[in-house]
Amino acid sequence: MSEKAATKGHPSRGISLYSYQSLLGKTMTLDDAFEEMYDTGATCFEFLTSYIEGYPNPSPKWVDHYWMLCEKYHLQPAELGHWCESHLHRGPKMSDEEIVEELKQDFRVANLLGFKTLRTKITCTNEICDPEPGWQSYIEKALPYAEKYDVRMQNEVHLPTTLHTPHIREEYLDFIRRTGTDRFGFNIDFGTFQTRAAKGMEDMPMFHFDDVSKPEEIVEFLPYCWTCHTKFTNMDENFEETTIPYREVIKLMIDHGWSGYLLSEYEGALRFKAENSVEDFANAMEGIPDQVRRHQIMMKNILGY
Amino acid sequence: MTEIKKGHPSRGISVYSYQALLGRTMTLDDVFEEMHDTGATCFEFLTSYIEGYPNPSPKWVDHYWMLCEKYHMQPAELGHWCETHLHRGPKMSDEEIVEELKQDFRLANLLGFKSLRTKITCTNVLCDPEPGWQSYIEKALPYAEKYDVRMQNEVHLPTTLHTPHIREEYLDFIRRTGTDRFGFNIDFGTFQTRAAKGMEDNPMFHFDDVSKPEEIVEFLPYCWTCHTKFTYMDENCEETTIPYRQIIKLMIDNGWSGNLVSEYEGVLAYNSDKNIQEFAKAMVGIPEQVRRHQIMMKNILGY
Amino acid sequence: MVEFQAVQQRGFHNYYDENGNIAGFEFKFVPRYYKGLWFTQCRFGNVEVDGEVYDRDCISIIYDGIAYSREELFDLKRYWQFRTPIVVRVPKKGGLSVGYHDVVMNFGWVLNYNGALEKEKDGSGLGNMAHMFGTKNERRMLLCR
Repeated sequence: MSEKAATKGHPSRGISLYSYQSLLGKTMTLDDAFEEMYDTGATCFEFLTSYIEGYPNPSPKWVDHYWMLCEKYHLQPAELGHWCESHLHRGPKMSDEEIVEELKQDFRVANLLGFKTLRTKITCTNEICDPEPGWQSYIEKALPYAEKYDVRMQNEVHLPTTLHTPHIREEYLDFIRRTGTDRFGFNIDFGTFQTRAAKGMEDMPMFHFDDVSKPEEIVEFLPYCWTCHTKFTNMDENFEETTIPYREVIKLMIDHGWSGYLLSEYEGALRFKAENSVEDFANAMEGIPDQVRRHQIMMKNILGY
Repeated sequence: MTEIKKGHPSRGISVYSYQALLGRTMTLDDVFEEMHDTGATCFEFLTSYIEGYPNPSPKWVDHYWMLCEKYHMQPAELGHWCETHLHRGPKMSDEEIVEELKQDFRLANLLGFKSLRTKITCTNVLCDPEPGWQSYIEKALPYAEKYDVRMQNEVHLPTTLHTPHIREEYLDFIRRTGTDRFGFNIDFGTFQTRAAKGMEDNPMFHFDDVSKPEEIVEFLPYCWTCHTKFTYMDENCEETTIPYRQIIKLMIDNGWSGNLVSEYEGVLAYNSDKNIQEFAKAMVGIPEQVRRHQIMMKNILGY
Repeated sequence: MVEFQAVQQRGFHNYYDENGNIAGFEFKFVPRYYKGLWFTQCRFGNVEVDGEVYDRDCISIIYDGIAYSREELFDLKRYWQFRTPIVVRVPKKGGLSVGYHDVVMNFGWVLNYNGALEKEKDGSGLGNMAHMFGTKNERRMLLCR
């Protein structure tokens, strides 16, 4: 008995603007970042709400300029990174209604700017990113608005969180299955598959690789995943990343018919050190665009486009 | 004999000091904010920094005046170039050259500059002028009057105040025509006695024949803006290779009240495009050098 | 903002014809000089990539969206604004390969001071500023598309 093979997926190759954040406004304008992304052959991008001039109320002039950039450089909006604030004010946590109002505002902005997916940062209470209790209540109330504005919220799975960290299954997956929603899911950051420190990051105490996600774990989550961060911390001169099983993970995704967005997100030593000294900033200025270009070449080699 | 009333020069900055950073890490707005921090009250601009030169948009001109008002900065001098070889082939006619000059005079007037650093075509490193300059500059004088600007030839090392062409050509022209629309921007580098730190092995500069401070006195009536040039300021905010205090005292004692505009032209600028590390040094070092120089100027002038 | 180098990596890519085939490559260039220049005084030279020479009369210079030949620029009485790049477009069938390339832009201009006047009145050379600033602008750059 042969199982019917799934149609192969066709993920889009994109870039997160966050990759350039050490340079944005310092040596690169937003226009420069778009031009830089265009050079790589990327077709889509991630934005953060913070990069919207006048957020949360951008001027029509800025919005026009943004769409001009998308058209000029042939780049599609993929994901908008935003923050689900639950403690905007001193004192007790905000009410569900207040939180939902804030979410609606970001949904509207995402819709205006063409983003179909969101990386929604739910308030967490520890390093492993266990969510603040009660999140189900306001996220559920926000679902009709996500529907209305045609956006999908995604919780990011970012090391030290793994796909088998208890809250992923017990809280988020449970929520998705209970509500049956297709407006909430996961942005799986490829750093969660990283097996050892990359060059330049060896002595950074923040990162441990003793318990990470296994490539095959991703399969179960693919139906609830529309955008992933193809995280990297060092690309070598041969356009290879050697600490994350990129080819294996992406093959699993394609073989299971996944056609979402893969967004290159640089988060390496150049960026962490950029503010240490002017010499380090100089290295970041030169190195970060180069790292992103190298990663895009690797992604092109893997995807074939 | 009546005593000469002491002069009161204005303390300013040349935007040229920041040129290695302009458009790379600093916008024009950033430069104005940076200058404001130093307590400078006036500035030098170059025609090249005018967006859309030679026809800036009204929008840009408004923005420029907004910056002047916001940061309390007065236009002092506009650096421009008296082009005589814009096209292949022979030199331009006097009429063509004067048309170009009129265009810059109009712009200077529009942007509030009363003095110009006028670069006359030169034919060697000593800046001997291309023969025939008297003819078109004389024809341009009525327009300088009309637009209320004063052309100034810059005296810049290796040129000194006793380089023959200064007296035999320029001073002779001024005295013959009796004009008060042509004169000198005396760059303080012409008084520099030795290389400053970091510039020791730059072969472009020699200090065996430089101007003496007292030479400046004769030229002060024909001088409205000077470049207070510097190539290195130490951490005590001192410049040690140019007799700054002596020259400025001579200027003040002789009643000179023009603009002194700080012009950085040191090793950070020369090296800034060599590699990324040198550029980074310039990024941090140049604004700091200008700040140090402005502190020295404040100490000397008392304001 | 422009990169501090004269030859800009941002903007370095192959370009395509109307059928979607790679027709050549392009990059941006901005002189290191402290002022803008009249195009009539600019002297554009050959482009070199990895040692291969692309003749200056085969390249296009794009300024403010308009493409010019080197010859046409001699008559363009327009000011090349300070720190505003031109696009240098070089036809090459199949373009450049993905990866690092050593790119050289040869460029000079007519300088009206600090040296003898330009001797080559036909503009066949690179102006008269080489003794001060050099005419070779080199950079190793990574091409992705």
